[in-house]
Amino acid sequence: MLRSWMMPVDPFFSDLERMRSEMERLFNLAAPVGNLRGVVRGTFPAINIGETDENVIVYIFAPGIDPDKVDLTLEKGILTLAGERDTSKDIGENPDPQGYHRRERFSGKFRRIISLPESVDPDKVSAKYSNGILTVTIGKREEEKAKKIEVAVE
Amino acid sequence: MTTEATREVSVKQSEVPAAEEREQMRTVVPPVDVYENNEGVILLADMPGVPKENLDVLVDKDVLTIKGKIAKVVPDDLKPLYAEFGAAQYERAFTLGADVDVSKIDAKISKGVLRIFLPKAEEVKPRKIEIEVE
Repeated sequence: MLRSWMMPVDPFFSDLERMRSEMERLFNLAAPVGNLRGVVRGTFPAINIGETDENVIVYIFAPGIDPDKVDLTLEKGILTLAGERDTSKDIGENPDPQGYHRRERFSGKFRRIISLPESVDPDKVSAKYSNGILTVTIGKREEEKAKKIEVAVE
Repeated sequence: MTTEATREVSVKQSEVPAAEEREQMRTVVPPVDVYENNEGVILLADMPGVPKENLDVLVDKDVLTIKGKIAKVVPDDLKPLYAEFGAAQYERAFTLGADVDVSKIDAKISKGVLRIFLPKAEEVKPRKIEIEVE
């Protein structure tokens, strides 16, 4: 109901929203996109994938994880992310709380398997973790990169 | 433990901004954990993509509002292939119980996790009673 007039300009993929909701209807996927008044739910962590001429970039929304405790592997075009998040670590210097009023954040083991386009080159992978987003950049194979064709004017 | 529990509050309709602003502000509600001990209440919120400078924590009378804008990290020429998350910012509001000492609220964000400590006013903290032995 809100989506029909809300065509957002945001950092990620606003023009994909229509395609995604069609896919959602077709496959009855539970996509963890929060509506304006809905809590983000679904698989942890949420993933966005995009590409440029040079790279395929995967954005993984995984706040509060320890990069050492996460296994990120790329094999035959399949990116696997496995790890564990223990949310009790975030409670901080006032440990041993009497109890909780609410626990909505995901805690425990997770595993996500992402099939990447065939154009990726497994030797060109790098990953960085910043503000809770794990960004994995995979370079495309040379022959797959979009190349500009110069038009000669006669 | 507190008789006046910290409750959720919805954004009032009058605060919904104009269409163009709405375009920029696809908002999602962050999941939170709320814990309590003798010292106060601890609130943890998942807000991945929000750096410290984009975080807003406001207290207006007895309403605590947390807002965070996601920093732009995608290259300009990025074409989307698959998206599960489409928001530009997080927002959520809570009603505070009267026993919170608002002047001592402490908030930090690290790795996309916001931690707010809401201390109880001194007079409200449970006191240990010393027993004297005659």
